[in-house]
Amino acid sequence: MSAGGDGGGAKSNLPPNTIIGIGAAGGLIGIYLAHFLPATFSFFGGIAAICAIVWGADAVRRVASYGLGTGVPSIGMIALGMGIVAALFGLSIGGVAGPIVSFITAAVIGAIIGVLANKVIGMGIPIMERAMVEIAGAGTLAIIGLSTVIAGTFEYGAVLDTVVSTGFIAMIFIMGGMGILHPFNANLGPDEKQDRTLILGVEKGALAMVIAGLASSINEGLGPAFVTILVGLTIWYLAFNKYFGFVKRDAYAVVGTGLLPSEEELQ
Amino acid sequence: MEPLIGMGVLALMGVAATIAGASEDLESDVGSQSNPNSQVQLAPQMMFPHRIYNKAVSGEPPSNALMCAIGATGAAVLMGEFNLSPLFALVIGALIAACVHGTYAMTSTMGRAASQSRFKQPVYLDMIRSHTPVIMAYAFITTFCVLIISYMMNVVLGHPFPLPLLAFIWGITIGAIGSSTGDVHYGAEREFQQFEFGSGLNASNSGNIVRFAESGLRNGYDNSWFCAKFGGPVTGIAFGMTVFLGSWITTVFDPAVSITRGWLSAVAGIIIVFILIIWNRKIEVAARNNYGPYKEDKPEEEAAA
Repeated sequence: MSAGGDGGGAKSNLPPNTIIGIGAAGGLIGIYLAHFLPATFSFFGGIAAICAIVWGADAVRRVASYGLGTGVPSIGMIALGMGIVAALFGLSIGGVAGPIVSFITAAVIGAIIGVLANKVIGMGIPIMERAMVEIAGAGTLAIIGLSTVIAGTFEYGAVLDTVVSTGFIAMIFIMGGMGILHPFNANLGPDEKQDRTLILGVEKGALAMVIAGLASSINEGLGPAFVTILVGLTIWYLAFNKYFGFVKRDAYAVVGTGLLPSEEELQ
Repeated sequence: MEPLIGMGVLALMGVAATIAGASEDLESDVGSQSNPNSQVQLAPQMMFPHRIYNKAVSGEPPSNALMCAIGATGAAVLMGEFNLSPLFALVIGALIAACVHGTYAMTSTMGRAASQSRFKQPVYLDMIRSHTPVIMAYAFITTFCVLIISYMMNVVLGHPFPLPLLAFIWGITIGAIGSSTGDVHYGAEREFQQFEFGSGLNASNSGNIVRFAESGLRNGYDNSWFCAKFGGPVTGIAFGMTVFLGSWITTVFDPAVSITRGWLSAVAGIIIVFILIIWNRKIEVAARNNYGPYKEDKPEEEAAA
């Protein structure tokens, strides 16, 4: 028995292309808004990261539904591994088109890894190549989005000074990665629902935004950091309540306390 | 640096690491993370619903790296922007990390139970309310101790990496050690106490974990109580030794003094690894000889005895 579902494609209410649109367009627009608008609006980078994380979580959900039980955390880590290489490469050569160059680079890296996984390692998952491209793109946008929150811009020099050499890149790496892998991993099981998984992506993305906002106070000053943290906490609160509502909707029973279900109930 | 001060710092780091290791293992045991988690997840599917926390926050290395990186980010901001004293900054950083970890723990146990509704696994809110603070408390201790280690390395020993990166690396390390050292005690023993000791995990027993305690239903507290006797402390010793011996070689043979010292520190490290390999082999052989599973049954002799 596969712990990761029934071994087929995942059932979805929102089609993959819609979520790709939300993730890619929302991510890029948010990053550019945070870059060009004054420092107070650098929270748009966090919103970009949330869009990207939701997209990544949906891609993980689709590929992991082919019975990838314990591989779910690994696929989240590889997303950010590909993303960090693509993000730094794209920002270093792309100038103002940096995020787009990073995004394309990520797609290429993702395609290569997807082909390797299917053809060389022989995983035989039909949507592996496509999912890897999506996951790499989402990871890249999440990294650039959160970096833009901290640096206030995606200029390579500023990102290097305020994000990489201060070590905050480690926090971005792990919060982005966990944001992408945790939603499906936390909802793993045969009765997993897409909306519940994706709202958890929003919740984890909002947490990443809050922590990135905290880190941004060193570079951006207290005002913009406060705005980012406040927006992040609001999104987190709404998403968490929504998630709890979905848990109450989907669970067999949500009880204050109680004994185990009896033998008759289990029949 | 004075060699004596270096040794003192090293001793303090070793102590912090030992505490961190013990609390890391117990934190994962209260919530049934990583290795034992697969059986907690499988149990309802085999018609064994339970009241055990299902904290599926990936494996222990990423989840501890997450806590430590968040804690270090908070501490670095508080020290850099607000000029807070390191002790307060590390405490508040660890507190932020524990809160974030609490949300990860809660969402995973609720989500996993909700995704098993066809197997009639209820979501017990009292269990979540009572266990999450314990998980957060252990997470706080772990993060705080790892932050102390990272801060000491960064500030006193002069390591070139920034605080969040060091904490991230130590977080992965402590998670890997906790996962490989301490989890066996819970996953292989405590979960299957109802079967004969040393019988291994028969495939037909998969998911049939112990769900009833000495009194009432078994929960995460019972498991951490059991693991606090051996699994937790042994993880603490493993992580403490890793931190202590890993830094001891460069404190005694400081590469900053001369390149020869640097090579000597590498040689000392290799010698320590060899001693540990030989020691481990001796323990394994001794254990196999005394308790090994390959002895043939000799009913006549036993009957005669």
